[in-house]
Amino acid sequence: MGALEVQPVGVIMLSIEDLFVVAVVWGVVIVFSWFFSKYLFTVFTGGKSRLDKFFKPIENFIYTLSGIESTKNMGWKEYFKALFYLNVAQAVIALFILMFQANLPLNPMHYQGMSWSLALNTVLSFSSNTNLQHYNGETTLSYLSQMSAIQFLQFTSAATGLAAGVAILRGFAGKARTIGNFYFDYVRSLTRVLLPLTFIATLVLIALGIPQSLGGYTSIPTLQKDAYEILYRGPIASLVSIMQLGTNGGGYFGANSAYPLQNPSQITDFLELGMMMFIPTATLFMFGRMVGDNREGRTLFLAAYAIYGIDLIIAFLPMAHTGRGLEIGYGGAASVFWTVTTTAFTTGSVNASLAAFNPVVILSGFIGMLIQGAPGGEGIGAMYLIMYVIVTIFLVGLMAGRTPEYLGIKIEGRDVKLAVMAFLTHPIIILVPTVLAFAIGAEKAAGLTANSIGFTQIFYEFTSSAANNGSDFLGASGNTIFFNVTTGIVMWLGRYLPMLFMLAIADSVAVRKRTPSQGLKTGTISFVVILVVSIFILTVLTFFPFLVLGPILQFLESFKTSLGGVIFAL
Amino acid sequence: MKGVKSLSTNVRLALISLLICGLVFPIVMTGIGQVALPWQSNGSQVYYDGKSIGSELIAQNFTVPVFFHPRNDSASGVDPDITLKDAMSQVPRIHNATGISESVLNATLLKYRQYTLFFFGTPYVNVLEVNLYLVKTYPSIYSQYDQ
Repeated sequence: MGALEVQPVGVIMLSIEDLFVVAVVWGVVIVFSWFFSKYLFTVFTGGKSRLDKFFKPIENFIYTLSGIESTKNMGWKEYFKALFYLNVAQAVIALFILMFQANLPLNPMHYQGMSWSLALNTVLSFSSNTNLQHYNGETTLSYLSQMSAIQFLQFTSAATGLAAGVAILRGFAGKARTIGNFYFDYVRSLTRVLLPLTFIATLVLIALGIPQSLGGYTSIPTLQKDAYEILYRGPIASLVSIMQLGTNGGGYFGANSAYPLQNPSQITDFLELGMMMFIPTATLFMFGRMVGDNREGRTLFLAAYAIYGIDLIIAFLPMAHTGRGLEIGYGGAASVFWTVTTTAFTTGSVNASLAAFNPVVILSGFIGMLIQGAPGGEGIGAMYLIMYVIVTIFLVGLMAGRTPEYLGIKIEGRDVKLAVMAFLTHPIIILVPTVLAFAIGAEKAAGLTANSIGFTQIFYEFTSSAANNGSDFLGASGNTIFFNVTTGIVMWLGRYLPMLFMLAIADSVAVRKRTPSQGLKTGTISFVVILVVSIFILTVLTFFPFLVLGPILQFLESFKTSLGGVIFAL
Repeated sequence: MKGVKSLSTNVRLALISLLICGLVFPIVMTGIGQVALPWQSNGSQVYYDGKSIGSELIAQNFTVPVFFHPRNDSASGVDPDITLKDAMSQVPRIHNATGISESVLNATLLKYRQYTLFFFGTPYVNVLEVNLYLVKTYPSIYSQYDQ
């Protein structure tokens, strides 16, 4: 979420210290997620665990109450239907809570219900793990809405994404000869992964200063005579835990993680960064364990982090001019690090105003969102990486004149077609509505003009929606019927279509015959290089004309007015 | 019939998820927070004369010249911190308004200095902390300006 501030001032340079911080955060996250991947592997392959004694009864209780057969293997259609209908049911419940919060309990501030279009946008956003927010939470939502609409969907969308990602990885790994059972994956994502981790994270975040209260918002006389502040106490720590661990990104406050009560210090800043990186990274390592060859997980991990690293270098490159719109206590470099990370993992929480950044930082953010697998969101990032692997293997196979193979499976025409459909979903659902918005003049209602700045902001809005990222420039100014409805549709298409296509591929390769690989070795560093190059070529070229009209033009314009711009002016 | 069963399964699972994730979890965490970490759970409020004067994490509206002022252009608008440089640039104004010597004011700022990037990065101060120190140390000067 970003307030519309322009004209950045001040300078940030990437120093040795900043590199040190990035290295420490990466190092800690990578080591922890490596160990955690072993646990994830046990959770999703149904291996025996000492924790079964505690979790099994809870899970069996949930299965019994809902009438679920958790051991029955599903085909891709059945898996997708279960996933989709569950998500619809959850969205409807949340829609009801948001629209009628005025008549429901836990509303000490007496906030009105949301309009239908804003409520629709909000539930489509949170159920698809996007968390685009066209409202300011602290002045719009009751406690019940923050907990039972927002946090609820943050948990369930993370569990849904993780389940789908795991099913696809399971299908490709092939050991189980099936993509599995959706309800098994979903329930275990909640009981054994998300709830225990958020429990610990919430306690730590409270200790570090994030409130957790239902005591109401109070006006307090402050130190200077006749001055007051509103203290927004709420169930914030629990929301922040799942919003970061679940790569959701939708904050309690309109200013998101720039608001001190959501991110009080540099320690919480780095901790929250680590939390958003944790599960997506562990999922990549888990894939190696599922295949029974850690090199295959390493390939996905290295490719994802290479792209993430390149994004960081691009963002730091111009000594990004920043200052206004950044919070002092985190440091400017930390804000750039955060923005790149939040787009690379498609989380979408922000700790600074996006408009405060150099267009090059925004360009780097675009790359993260357009790729979506660097390393991408909960479960879904791994799915996109597999999609890129298929397309890359196909392209390399064409060049070498061989049948494309992955993990000993022959990649067939149908697989490539489906993977390309998953890939093409994004350009279509991003570019068509962006053009539509300007064609009908919808940018004016959001207070924008049709120049490079306005273009960047609307292109960003739909990119962020399609990538299920959720960071945006518009914020509450995007609360128009046009943007509420169009971004809502884009968020769901961007969420479920690629999932459907990839589940279909995974289900068919799960039972396909495997022969020892004769083609391209995918567990090697040279394949990582090919994969990264191919991902950049595929994605950047698809969107290049649009990037030129937006952030790149904006960058050149700012350059023109500076001293160095003399050359450009000539 | 299969459709009806699947609908009922999904609705029931959705409601159970709502109960666990959207009610029990945040409410239990609130209970634990209120019992185990009540100060942080309630917004890290600073007390003066036994009364809350607001959260140390939220910038306050300091407008009279005797106080250090926060900046108001940041992303949240309530950044409680200013850079040490910004604070030091305000020292002459506070000296003129209060008569407290500039060296004492500068020393006070250094006492409350914190760093981004642990001990490497930009030094900054929490505005409320410094102002509260001044109010407590110079009651005769500040009594007409505080609550």
